Amino acid sequence: MRVVTNDGTFCGYGKGEDGQLMAMTDEEYHSACPGMTSAATKGIWSSPKSSPYPAPKGLVVLYQIGRGPFCPSVSPFPLKLETFLRFNKIPYMNIHSSRFSKKGKTPWIEYNGQAIADSQFCIDFLSRELGIDMNSHLTPVDKSISRAFQKMSEENTYWSMCYEMFAVPDKTRIAEVMPQYKGFKLWAFTTVFSRVIKKELYYQGIGRHSDEEIWTIGRADLQAISTFLGDKKFFMGDRPSQIDCAMFGMLAQVLWHMPRTRHEKFTHDRLQNIDGYCERMKELCWPDWDKLCLKHPSYQDDNYKTYHTE
Amino acid sequence: MGSFLETFRNLETSQTILYVFGGAAVTAVSLVAIRKLTLKEEKRKDYPRDTVILHQIGRGPYAPSMTPFAVKLETYLRMARIPYQNVHGMRPSPKGKVPWIEYNGQPIGDSTLCIQFLNQKLEVDLNKHLSPADKGVAQAMQVMTEEHLYWFLALIRWIYSRDASFILETFKFTKFFVWMIRRHIKKRTWLQGLGRHTEEEIVEMMNKDIQSLSDFIGRKRFLMGDEPSEADCSVFGMLSQTYWQFNGSGYENLIKDKYPNLASYCERMKDAFWPDWDQCITHGGTREATK
Repeated sequence: MRVVTNDGTFCGYGKGEDGQLMAMTDEEYHSACPGMTSAATKGIWSSPKSSPYPAPKGLVVLYQIGRGPFCPSVSPFPLKLETFLRFNKIPYMNIHSSRFSKKGKTPWIEYNGQAIADSQFCIDFLSRELGIDMNSHLTPVDKSISRAFQKMSEENTYWSMCYEMFAVPDKTRIAEVMPQYKGFKLWAFTTVFSRVIKKELYYQGIGRHSDEEIWTIGRADLQAISTFLGDKKFFMGDRPSQIDCAMFGMLAQVLWHMPRTRHEKFTHDRLQNIDGYCERMKELCWPDWDKLCLKHPSYQDDNYKTYHTE
Repeated sequence: MGSFLETFRNLETSQTILYVFGGAAVTAVSLVAIRKLTLKEEKRKDYPRDTVILHQIGRGPYAPSMTPFAVKLETYLRMARIPYQNVHGMRPSPKGKVPWIEYNGQPIGDSTLCIQFLNQKLEVDLNKHLSPADKGVAQAMQVMTEEHLYWFLALIRWIYSRDASFILETFKFTKFFVWMIRRHIKKRTWLQGLGRHTEEEIVEMMNKDIQSLSDFIGRKRFLMGDEPSEADCSVFGMLSQTYWQFNGSGYENLIKDKYPNLASYCERMKDAFWPDWDQCITHGGTREATK
């Protein structure tokens, strides 16, 4: 696989047999361009100052932690960011890696050699760069309401969900959403990650409450979301807006990646409009959903695969 | 001192060990006894029945408290006309935070849970005039204020403040203690997530939150319309810090200059629920608050 771009410059990836742009293996890459590093293959030990992935100009490189068993991500934030990219048909490529941003978190992006951390900052950055405004049809009051609901879901509901999945005694739920981990690896991941989440929950504040109190907080949020959504097609009305990316990212976890939790049961039993809403978002932005879920028979690995480049 | 050391050095090893352990045991027992006695003294206070005992950290220089949650909780008690009594001190709730309440001997921590408890116990509903969708929106506004805007205020006040003299004078902490609090807040905000951003990013996000509140309130009298509701307590609590007590941050006049409708909102809430405001502040530490 040789390097190809229209103007003949070296960009670090070439065309595979099916014509899809595919990254070269490390050996091919290093022999073709000695001195440049294949940043994406270095994993978590790479310094944030290492070279960006040599993507062509205008292609967003989306770093995330890999696909989930029943939904394209086990975390709401990569799903939100990728939904935004898909809705706006922004050319992008996935790199599934444990390489974190300079803020120590994931997902994050590189764009024209520049690294941007935090899913919301990525959305704001790309909106500015590419002249996108998903909220142009909203009034200032609607924009405020939209922001309030987004912050509520990401800074409050999210923590109650983390607690329900990772800080309760029943650790079998973690195994169900991380099928790639088994045996010792699963035990190690569960132990370490639970501890990290419990610490974050405590310092954030919600972790000081009792189990019942945390659930009450989460339930009140879900009820507020469902009540406000009502029978609207999208969160703010008939047209989708930016908050739909965030809300879908969060609610998809409740529906598909929180097995046997109170959140899942409450949503299925009492908040039926959330089911319909998520299905609509899925059809709109994720027609290839099944191919991106690890547990689905038609799953395909889309590491280094590009989207919207035709 | 010299002869004491001489005597010590002349002891046999077994005697030394005995003295060391004995000394440690006596110290430990004394500390436990002192702590028990102190706590016992506090518990002996007989609080009146059916009165909310509001534990908070003392009056602020220009607003009734330096913490937004105490202003929120006390504004709620006033809005709901619930009899209450203030107890100012540094004693935290069983969850390690302030403010908190005691009601007929039962302690409840966390301002939101206190409000929920009192709503149920005393059949209070400050949101009964709101539609279900409006209740949802009020909930979202409250949570955005408490779980997002709050962190920016904490970061700006404690970490990014250009001039720490306001904090030092208000709390009368030593510089070392302020340094410890800063470390604690850096750790908390790092783990929460928002502390990982740069100062510019924090200020931009803070402005967006305040802009949202300003756009949403618009020309309304209160958050959700002509009548105040429960979320007003929370929003007012948070804005009271930004409007009246942001000294030394570099953003003292942010609300007054950039968001005049929020300034009017704060004054309106103050007039409606704090007619005795002047008696509930220390006027920059120049006098005792009488209430």
